[in-house]
Amino acid sequence: MMPPQLRQPSVLPGFGLTLGFTVAYLCLIVLIPLAMAFLEAFQLGWREFWSVVSAPRVMASYRLTFGAALLAAAINTGFGLIVAWVLVRYHFPGKRLVDALVDLPFALPTAVAGITLTTLYAGNGWLGQFLKPLGIKIAFTPTGIIVALVFISLPFVVRTVQPVLEDLEAEVEEAAASLGADRWQIFQRVIFPAIRPALLTGFTLAFARAIGEYGSVIFIAGNLPMVSEITPLLIVSKLEQYDYKGAAAVSVVMLILSFILLLLINLLQRWNRSRQA
Amino acid sequence: MSIDIRGLYKRFGNFTALDHIDLKIPAGQLVALLGPSGCGKTTLLRIIAGLETADQGSIWFDGQETGSRHVRERRVGFVFQHYALFQHMTVFENIAFGLRVRPRKQRPSETQIRAKVHELLALIQLEWLAERYPSQLSGGQRQRIALARALAVEPQVLLLDEPFGALDTKVRKELRRWLRRLHDEIHVTSVFVTHDQEEALEVSDQIVVMNHGRIEQIGTPEAVYDTPATPFVYQFLGNINLFHGRAHSGWVRLGGLRVQAPEYQDAQHAPAMAYVRPHDIDLLREPEDSDSTLPATVNRIAILGSLVRLELRQTSDGEIAEVEMTRERFAADPLQIGDLVFVKPRHLRVFLQEEAATEASVPMHWHGDGGGI
Amino acid sequence: MSGPIHQHHRTAASEPPLIQGLLVGVALTFLTLFLFVPLVAVFYEALRKGMGVYLAAITDPYALSAIRLTLLSAVCAVPLNMLFGVAAAWAITKFEFRGKSLLITLIDLPFAVSPVIAGLIYVLLFGAHGWLGPALTQHDIKIIFAVPGIVLATVFVTVPFIARELIPLMQAQGTEEEEAALVLGASGWTTFWRITLPNIKWGLLYGVVLCTARAMGEFGAVSVVSGHIRGLTNTLPLHIEILYNEYQFAAAFACASLLTLLALAILGIKTFIERYTFSQRRPPAGGDTP
Repeated sequence: MMPPQLRQPSVLPGFGLTLGFTVAYLCLIVLIPLAMAFLEAFQLGWREFWSVVSAPRVMASYRLTFGAALLAAAINTGFGLIVAWVLVRYHFPGKRLVDALVDLPFALPTAVAGITLTTLYAGNGWLGQFLKPLGIKIAFTPTGIIVALVFISLPFVVRTVQPVLEDLEAEVEEAAASLGADRWQIFQRVIFPAIRPALLTGFTLAFARAIGEYGSVIFIAGNLPMVSEITPLLIVSKLEQYDYKGAAAVSVVMLILSFILLLLINLLQRWNRSRQA
Repeated sequence: MSIDIRGLYKRFGNFTALDHIDLKIPAGQLVALLGPSGCGKTTLLRIIAGLETADQGSIWFDGQETGSRHVRERRVGFVFQHYALFQHMTVFENIAFGLRVRPRKQRPSETQIRAKVHELLALIQLEWLAERYPSQLSGGQRQRIALARALAVEPQVLLLDEPFGALDTKVRKELRRWLRRLHDEIHVTSVFVTHDQEEALEVSDQIVVMNHGRIEQIGTPEAVYDTPATPFVYQFLGNINLFHGRAHSGWVRLGGLRVQAPEYQDAQHAPAMAYVRPHDIDLLREPEDSDSTLPATVNRIAILGSLVRLELRQTSDGEIAEVEMTRERFAADPLQIGDLVFVKPRHLRVFLQEEAATEASVPMHWHGDGGGI
Repeated sequence: MSGPIHQHHRTAASEPPLIQGLLVGVALTFLTLFLFVPLVAVFYEALRKGMGVYLAAITDPYALSAIRLTLLSAVCAVPLNMLFGVAAAWAITKFEFRGKSLLITLIDLPFAVSPVIAGLIYVLLFGAHGWLGPALTQHDIKIIFAVPGIVLATVFVTVPFIARELIPLMQAQGTEEEEAALVLGASGWTTFWRITLPNIKWGLLYGVVLCTARAMGEFGAVSVVSGHIRGLTNTLPLHIEILYNEYQFAAAFACASLLTLLALAILGIKTFIERYTFSQRRPPAGGDTP
């Protein structure tokens, strides 16, 4: 009966102005430039595109980038849960300071993180000197990449799980206890299912952030082709050799994977909200 | 100022919120829009205010069409359900806001604004709160501040959305009496939305009962309660007993009961429902004649202050019926649990099943299903 | 009376002290290794060669010009993204329209894009061999390997920060206060300045702070478009990289310590805003009488 409406009418003013500005800004700053990567890459033609993005050195960089990011996100999921738990449930001296400092990796420039971690974990560094006798090398190896990625994606899991743990009603746990469940059973069957969506969201956010990371990694990685060269670095080196199309092609692969992750994050967050409602 | 609503229609997606509403509100009255949640009453109020636009139909203030007038220019006072007080402004600034944002030429002087705000604070008896912030007030105080803020612009129409909905019972009762007294003082045409029948019955001059985007009945509280126009109104206002039966040639048979229903002269064995208020039932110790009373046993007795509520189980089909009587009357012939009594409805209203069928979603105090003959 | 009950509640739903201690220990060890030690190390390394070296490093002309450029790119990027954030949040939270969730996803997009790619796409667009390159060369406009490119790349990576702070905040606040202002006769602008803005000021400030931090610390995107010309197109993070690669560790850490101080200041402001807005939201005691 009614024509389908683009928007529901409202008495508040400014819809056209604000939406128009938002869309125009996004197009100019984000979408049109991003489209350039696709345009440039597709000039290669399908066959050449494929040979660029599946070259052995590029494949090795995907494996390293995604593998290290996955491991870093997994480490942060485990420790992030413990940190969030401890911050919400227990009291210990300096808790407020610790809570505030968890966000440091968000605020600290990645280059600073990169040079600091490298110095610390080098063979003669504060932490590296203890590991060297054990035969463990961190700086200038793929392990160093994981250390850097753990640092830069550390806050995600803590900050997504923390509010959910805070909102968890004590009554639910008390009810479970009154029904005879022990502490571990309560965690497994009552608490964990409630925080699982947040944990997953945090994991995915950390993973997405770690994949694209550049600044902190290049200092600590050693950057050996086939061994410790991450995909963003590969893009930069292609660019430095004026291989724009090659750089664009590898970027397109990364972009597509990142978009899929972004979609996943959105779905997870929607799932989170629908469960909390 | 009178309000005249003509053919108002509003949809949200597939949901019809208002289905061709026609309503005239005379100047100076206090009118309640009463109905269950989702019946369209808040939408109607917001369209009158100009906060929503109708898909079809028009609204006239004193014979003037308002459709083209923006909410800013309608001069309505609107009290939001959760008050919508400006959190970062003091009570004084909240009330003064409507005067301060007037175009420079119409804006009163600072002295006039002060005088006006203090006058309103005196009216709502909260002068001592002028410098407080909304977060420092109780719910009842916020409610009164919201009202004062709406009155500051001297509205032609005052609209209140569930004005007492967020308050606890005691405060709610105080405030609605206060609102009634206030209205008697200032006489501005007022419309308020409520889902609470008691509130509507106590405060308003007229009640508009709404359901599924339509008006079921318009009338004084007395008329709406005593002579409900539809089964829905019967069920929504007050407690009821429901009897199932059949109507046939001007008579209705409900279990062992046979009553006259001249309005259904043409009905042929049509399924029917009869509504009886719990206080419209007499209880007799002996049967009168075979088809004017129903035998039942007393199942439970509850003393509720000045009233006694009895729960009866009908002998014929085990259905439950509820009866209310005064303490005095109960004391005159005290019944005991298990006593056999005979139920005689004093006042009973019959609707044919088709009319009643559409109202199946309405919650009732109790509901015997089926039975009938 | 409430004391003992509270105590009882604690013990009923909590772990044995041993486990608690163990978990706190694990959490603190993890954070120490990955957060606290690096934090201390920055300042230790910066001051290792003494105050003289430290001061020389941060007052070096190249360092000063890097600081200036870093500030300039933040000063350009933050107001633009503030305007964008407020406009986007207004459109998204005050209206219902089709494609809204798509729009929200698009705003988040720069978070999911590697900073290196953010730099690359501007090179593809404005670089000498880029799509607009020839036209720009003709008019003698230089974007890549120049200041405008650095600003653009910084804008790109910080697009979502302010919008993301404002959207949930304004969603939670709803539209009732704005509607109330309109009913009382206020115009759209008046409503925005006098009702909406005061309500979102803390969220806006927080978003601006985060946006500034990221703008000043951005490395990957800026590195790609900068060209690393000392004194001209070097931002502070890029300057740190050059110093580090030249083995001037003390100088590199001296500059890094400036950015670390900035990061700590940001965490301080964040904590302050959270506490302040939390205490504002808390209902006053004993105010529940009619």
